[in-house]
Amino acid sequence: MKKELNPFSIAQKQLDDAAEKLGLDRSTHELLRWPMQELKVTIPVKMDDGSTKIFHAFRIQYNTARGPAKGGIRWHPDETVDTVRALAAWMTWKTSVVDIPLGGGKGGIICNPKELSETEKERLARAYMRAIARSLGVAKDVPAPDVYTTPQIMAWMMDEYETIMGEKHPGVITGKPLPLGGSQGRGDATARGGIYVTQEAATAYGIDLKGQTMAIQGFGNAGQHAARLGEKILGLKLVAASDSKGGICNPNGMDVEALIEHKLKSGRVNGFPGAEEISNEQVLELEVAVLFPAALENVITGENAPRLRCKILCELANGPTTPEADDILYDKGVIVLPDFLANAGGVTVSYLEQVQNTYNLYWEIEEIHWRLKEKMSRAFKSVYEMSQNKKINMRQAAYLVSVARVAEACKLRGWV
Amino acid sequence: MESKVVNSGIAALDEVLKGLRLGDNVVWQVDNLKDYSYFVEPFADQAIRDSGNCVYLRFAPHPPIIGPRRGLMIKGVDPRHGFDFFSAEVHRAIEEWADKKFFLLDNLSALVEEWATDELLANFFQISCPFLRELDTVAYFALTRGQHAHSAVARIRDTTQVLIDVYRIKGRMYIHPLKVWDRYSPQMFLPHVVTEKSWQPVFQSGEAAEVSATARKKPLGAMESSIAPWDSVYNRLIQYREADKDSRQMVPEILALKEEFSRMLIGNHPGFNRLADSYFTLEDLYSIRDRMIGSGRIGGKAAGMLLARRILLEEDGEIDFLQVLEDHDSFYIGSDVFFTFLVHNDLFRLRLKLSRNSQLSREEFEEVEQSFLAGRFSTEITEQFRNMLDYFGQAPIIVRSSSLLEDSFGNSFAGKYRSEFCANQGSPDERLEVFLHAVKLVYASTLSPDALSYRRRRGLGESDEQMAILVQRVSGIPYRHYFFPSLAGVAFSRNLYAWTNRIDSNKGVIRLVFGLGTRAVNRVGGDYPRMIAASHPQLRPEVGMEIAKYSQHEIDLLDLETNRFVTLPTAEVISKDEYPNIHLFVSIMKDGYLHDPYGMIHPDSGEELVLTFNKLISGTNFVKITGNILERLDRAYGHPVDTEFTASVDSGGRVRVNLLQCRPLWLPGLSGPLEIPENIPNERTLFKATRVISGGVVSQIQHIIYIDPRSYAEITSMELKRSVGRVVGRLNGHPRLVAGKLLMMGPGRWGSGNIDLGVNVSYADIDNTAVLVEIAREDSGHVPEVSYGTHFFQDLVEGQIIYLPVYPDDPETMFNSSFFEGSANILTDLLPESGEFENVVYVFDVPKVTEGAYARVVADPQSHSAICYLG
Repeated sequence: MKKELNPFSIAQKQLDDAAEKLGLDRSTHELLRWPMQELKVTIPVKMDDGSTKIFHAFRIQYNTARGPAKGGIRWHPDETVDTVRALAAWMTWKTSVVDIPLGGGKGGIICNPKELSETEKERLARAYMRAIARSLGVAKDVPAPDVYTTPQIMAWMMDEYETIMGEKHPGVITGKPLPLGGSQGRGDATARGGIYVTQEAATAYGIDLKGQTMAIQGFGNAGQHAARLGEKILGLKLVAASDSKGGICNPNGMDVEALIEHKLKSGRVNGFPGAEEISNEQVLELEVAVLFPAALENVITGENAPRLRCKILCELANGPTTPEADDILYDKGVIVLPDFLANAGGVTVSYLEQVQNTYNLYWEIEEIHWRLKEKMSRAFKSVYEMSQNKKINMRQAAYLVSVARVAEACKLRGWV
Repeated sequence: MESKVVNSGIAALDEVLKGLRLGDNVVWQVDNLKDYSYFVEPFADQAIRDSGNCVYLRFAPHPPIIGPRRGLMIKGVDPRHGFDFFSAEVHRAIEEWADKKFFLLDNLSALVEEWATDELLANFFQISCPFLRELDTVAYFALTRGQHAHSAVARIRDTTQVLIDVYRIKGRMYIHPLKVWDRYSPQMFLPHVVTEKSWQPVFQSGEAAEVSATARKKPLGAMESSIAPWDSVYNRLIQYREADKDSRQMVPEILALKEEFSRMLIGNHPGFNRLADSYFTLEDLYSIRDRMIGSGRIGGKAAGMLLARRILLEEDGEIDFLQVLEDHDSFYIGSDVFFTFLVHNDLFRLRLKLSRNSQLSREEFEEVEQSFLAGRFSTEITEQFRNMLDYFGQAPIIVRSSSLLEDSFGNSFAGKYRSEFCANQGSPDERLEVFLHAVKLVYASTLSPDALSYRRRRGLGESDEQMAILVQRVSGIPYRHYFFPSLAGVAFSRNLYAWTNRIDSNKGVIRLVFGLGTRAVNRVGGDYPRMIAASHPQLRPEVGMEIAKYSQHEIDLLDLETNRFVTLPTAEVISKDEYPNIHLFVSIMKDGYLHDPYGMIHPDSGEELVLTFNKLISGTNFVKITGNILERLDRAYGHPVDTEFTASVDSGGRVRVNLLQCRPLWLPGLSGPLEIPENIPNERTLFKATRVISGGVVSQIQHIIYIDPRSYAEITSMELKRSVGRVVGRLNGHPRLVAGKLLMMGPGRWGSGNIDLGVNVSYADIDNTAVLVEIAREDSGHVPEVSYGTHFFQDLVEGQIIYLPVYPDDPETMFNSSFFEGSANILTDLLPESGEFENVVYVFDVPKVTEGAYARVVADPQSHSAICYLG
């Protein structure tokens, strides 16, 4: 079996590169290389058959210099402390790049949700919350859903937390169901954030997107929202889309709503009337104004990057572009909107949920949208400026912006 | 042109009949064998003198009709294997001796002892007689006088060329020609007294009257009753029923008759007999007979269904199945009706020919199907069909194949024969027409390429296959202009689809759908029934949004407006109106996640509904009932079982189940844990698999057909993709590949209706492979449960084809890409015309590319692991 790189080592390496470029002093660099607090808990849970099963779990607050830790809770059988550390670090940079007053955190329970009944899931969620409740709070650490966790699980956890505290604290967790204080606008937040960033990029680079074309690789939830919003907000025409079963293309443009309906009914984009069938790979190489990779990791590689013909590459998926491809695209002049900037709409709306919970005042959807737009626009501008000033690619720029902000907060607090 | 006259060996007889002719079938109706022999011996001697030989087809338990002599060639044929097998054997013998001119056959009445009905006897005669005539032979048959139903004798009379009544009065023998085709004399059809010198017609009025009166006491053809066991046993039992209304004490004679009647109605398999004798009461058998159209047997599917119901009702337990089981309301079209249909419509010999040569293309089969559709039923049977349809009124019905071999121990024939829904709307004549069409389609399906291939592989090519039909009322309720059951599916008493060790594989598994159960038994691309482990019903192998993806997206139902079976998107059927108790069946997609309804669903909520059955599982005793059914049946059968059912839930949450089918379940790899070889070096390993559900060992694999998943995915033309399946089919039948052992590997789901999800093949396209491997690259992490329980999967299991899912991206598996990408492809050596597929379909001659090594597969379902390696 191929030896996988330790994800936390990768995260540290990324920080090291940014630290070097920023010229961070040694102690700040060392502080940012490690989680500030790690909690490891062992949780006994009564199973449906009367037996007791012991689960191991973590909550890691990577850095809270800019505010309470923020990050999801993952339920995964292969969870390791290093995965959780790495993801907590990335959350720190993500909240920082969009400049929301939060730090970064992550949690994980080593479990296989496929082996748990609904009642067992509920007992596990509550037991986990009992184990870590003292480290959580709207002013300390605010979890959210992540791999294999759902709004329902967030609701159980919130309820358990409130029971322990004896008072209402809806803001202790985000991603809750709407009737329990969830926020409007969460459904399309990731795609919408990406669209706003794309809009800013087009303005910055002087590209008029209206009437131009887009292609979407991965026509799932985020991809479908991107198609809708790309058309509505940016005036783009959808000319190609793909999913795991193949791709389609129609240079004259496709009716987005009709395609979504077709996908929902047939489970695939193939077979959409009027469109030509092409491969998944071909979708990436079409000449379009904006390409949205919205599915898998590492689809844009050193091999196919030279053939990409998009002007803007907006990474809605996590890690669609390899470092080798990054360099090629930069040299080609493709505007890459890196994942942790482009898909930060989700965490931003999570933050807005927390704010609404705290104020016990709930906004209409329009207000969520403009606040999100504001955050994403500012974030883009900071990264863009850094990129221009330092003559580096957007991904490197995004790292520099976020690490610098966290470093600055640490410094101001007198930690370093 | 007049046929050549031949000598019967008795000059007086030749004179009466104006000579026998080549092509004549001569039926002697006699009181005893001695009288038949009287005519047989001179005929045989004359035949041997004239042509050097005479063929004697010997099949009856009675003494030989002629002693051995030079030139007499005796061929034994055993009727105990059933009508179908026997008829085929006789045909084969006649074909074998097509150059012979003279044939003798034992007394046909003996056949009735074995086959139970006169109808099959007449059928046999009706198919054999024309064949002998075509070959210009003269054949002697005998029939015992007065022992057969009028209708059967009438058919024999219609078919034969010569029919002669033979009887004795006061010690004198008389012959009375009743039919002599194409010959005439003024005295030919009078009784003739047989004397040594000459045979005189009985003319004198006094004598003629006496002869006629004596003959009329048992006039052949006037008998309404018959000695056929079917009728006689039934009549005897009816007498008992009438006489002993108060006493239900089963005397040994009646017990024996009951068992005999059960064999005649149901079949004769030791495993099944034990169950039938223990559970079926005489009343059960009567009620089967009361709902039977025609004679013969009711077939395996009907028998399994009835037996399972009886087992559940009989045994005491936690659940009172009287309250749970719905009435089945079925009719049975006896297996004899099938043969009579074939014989009457000149289809029997076509079937015989095709059964022997199973290489029938789909196009050829379509022609065969047309011939069946053009066939007609007798007025008598049609009238009974009409009565049955009147009984059902306009309630939808299903016409289900129920062949004798189907659903028996070891041969499920899952999905091989058709089942046809009749929405049953329209005028009585229209409904009858649709029904007849359905019955004919089911009959024709006995010759479908898949069915023939299945029979051949199971060594059943020549065995007696009688197609009975089970006509059932479709369970369900009308909803808008549709009709369908709320719940339907299949359930197995053993669960090999255990994605976690928590699941107890001895507790069974349910594959559940909303609407008609066709979606549960067929492998439908992109659509997924809910799999429920009876031991842990709430566990499911998907989480989060995967649940919506791996759910049922389409519903099969009957459209009462168009009078058709249709498939509609779930949203179209259940999103707009409120279906009763829909909250038990669906979860709601809201704000990007799924949740279960807390109460009834608002009809105009506009949210997407996903069929999860969550509240049915957690809030009713549906799983408990089904689990109990499986447990009881498994125990009674002494063997794992496979069932089909529909179910409903009333407003009070009470679950009712209609058990449609039960049959023994064949399980792969039950022989015990297999040892997976360890320490096989990577370079000798071709792949390793986890999540294995079927097991066994296959050594000496010489050829591997490998469909490259990436190249397959890149094919954009649907037509070309479909062609890949045809290439696989041709390779499957290629003599070089058939000669050795074969392994097939390809992307996604073999046999799926959706070619994007896997290679478009039917069972007949892959039936020569020993191992079938599904390479799942994209859906890594998802157990391929969609196969388990489908007919396609059943085929693999019964064909003892090991089925392995391989996930190359799963860290626990191993996939030797360099072997598959770097070995020489012999596709065009085998199929020179398939060059355009060279980059998609690879065929490896394993010893050639490995310097002599063969591939070996070891798959252990208990540890869920498998390996394929060179060794």
